[in-house]
Amino acid sequence: MSTHVPHPTVRHEAARISLQGVSKRFAGPSGQGAGHLVLDQVSLSLAAGEFVCLLGPSGCGKSTVLNLLSGFERADQGLVQLDGRPITGPGAERGMVFQQPTLFPWLSVADNVAFGPRMAGWPRDRLQAETRRLLAQVGLADFGEHFPWQLSGGMRQRAALARAWILQPEILLMDEPFGALDAQTRLAMQELLTRIWQQERTTVLFVTHDVDEALFLADRVLIMSTRPGRIEEDLAVPFERPRTFEDLVAEPDYGRLKRRILKALRHGEAGAAPLQSPPQPLPRAA
Amino acid sequence: MSLESLSVVSALPEQAAPDRPDRPDRPDRPDRPDRPDRPDRPRPSGRYFVGRAWPGPRARISLAAVALVLTLWQLSGSLRWIDPLLLPPPSDIWVAAQELLQSGYRQTPLWQHVAISAGRAVAAFAVAIVVGVPLGLGMGRWPTLAAVFDPFVQFLRPLPKIALIPLVIVWFGIGEGAKFFLIFISSFLSIVVGAAAAAQGVSQARIRAAQTLGASPRQVFSHVLLPDALPGIFTSVRLSVGIGWTSLIAAEMVAANAGLGWMVINAGTYLRTDVVLLGIVLLGLTGYLFDALLLLAQRRLVPWAGRDA
Repeated sequence: MSTHVPHPTVRHEAARISLQGVSKRFAGPSGQGAGHLVLDQVSLSLAAGEFVCLLGPSGCGKSTVLNLLSGFERADQGLVQLDGRPITGPGAERGMVFQQPTLFPWLSVADNVAFGPRMAGWPRDRLQAETRRLLAQVGLADFGEHFPWQLSGGMRQRAALARAWILQPEILLMDEPFGALDAQTRLAMQELLTRIWQQERTTVLFVTHDVDEALFLADRVLIMSTRPGRIEEDLAVPFERPRTFEDLVAEPDYGRLKRRILKALRHGEAGAAPLQSPPQPLPRAA
Repeated sequence: MSLESLSVVSALPEQAAPDRPDRPDRPDRPDRPDRPDRPDRPRPSGRYFVGRAWPGPRARISLAAVALVLTLWQLSGSLRWIDPLLLPPPSDIWVAAQELLQSGYRQTPLWQHVAISAGRAVAAFAVAIVVGVPLGLGMGRWPTLAAVFDPFVQFLRPLPKIALIPLVIVWFGIGEGAKFFLIFISSFLSIVVGAAAAAQGVSQARIRAAQTLGASPRQVFSHVLLPDALPGIFTSVRLSVGIGWTSLIAAEMVAANAGLGWMVINAGTYLRTDVVLLGIVLLGLTGYLFDALLLLAQRRLVPWAGRDA
């Protein structure tokens, strides 16, 4: 497992999740007019077991990609598929971790983690065993009886991670899950996430605007441009796993890759604001 | 009697001051949510009763303020600042209370007046909650339902319910039905509005989280929407019970022959201002008791109210 070498070429035939030529337009401010094009002919695919980061400036539509995959929104054009089947609504086979933990404050941490299994009607002992296992995995073994509001931000996010992972989803969609955490906690969370991922090998699509985070986590980085959102570049991240930040920054490729990503991001952003465009209203948080 | 209350007032400053420093770490305010290392934290429901002598600094100030007003009120009567017929002092009310406890008011014992009023109100509240909460939740979630009921609710809610009395008598006669209806309608309408607001305020993010965890629409309703709206429902019930209790007088103006509201009105016609004031005090205390019970239930049943997660 530790000798795993990420394969940069996408095995399309084994594509677990895919977007093909997807476009999405949001209504204008008054609900009329053409609105603005958030996604323009976006195509991407993830192979089974792959960890892919979707990187882009805010407002580029990366959260819209996640909302399409989770089934909260529908594409205006194109195909959104999981294992070749179209995605029509939210479902437990696609787990989601949001930027905010969105735990249920009326449930204990353990009951929060067990929420999905309880909805699915798992037998009691399997439910309890799995809950214990997941709590231990995210380092919350002693906090199952606590309530979410008694935990710190990082611990809540770990609980949210366990809650999504307990259902063994076919793909885990993560929407800047560590964006609201402080730098230190964020680092610990990134290490925790890769550690669990290396055991579970769930397919992960991780949205972020943090280049270092993407390079640390991903097998592959997709860079999006903004308005309209397009996939600007598709880069393999060749570093050996398990990774540590200290080793990573010492790699000569790290600087090169980071530089290339930053350039691509800048290019994507520059293309977004043509000179003749009128003063933009506040960009819609996507 | 005034000696006791005066001593409380004079004792206030030096008693209240030493309590100040311990306010920052009030256990009921998790200002530092990033401190997880409190495993033996008392359950939230018990936090007002454990580890703290009852008259805390704020309660002491409130008690002192009440004592001061009672003292001035008593002095106004004892020293003849005001004619006791216009404002009977507390001692007169006390005498009236003992008289009524012994021989009742108009052939009905005092406790029965209280019980009859409380019974009417509780029955009306119960029905208002049972009907109003589901309707309000539905209106909060389904715009069509809200569009149907909103005009009527919004028209009737600000209406002074006394205006309905003539109609209510025609419809229901002068029996219990009329009184029930008046209390019911006033609390029902505000419960509906409050429950609708609570349902609308339910966190969309939590609903989405539940959906990605495989919850069906029915499960989302019972496992997310309902608990998330519950604190808001409790608040609206507390407000509505207050409003419903206020309309008790209106209800008991309808040809009653017992009940606190009726007692106040009846005593007024005989210039028994001491009985009027006694009735007012009992009305106020009963209303206060209702609210305190609801508050207790709220703390016990929805300890997560206002918590972040």
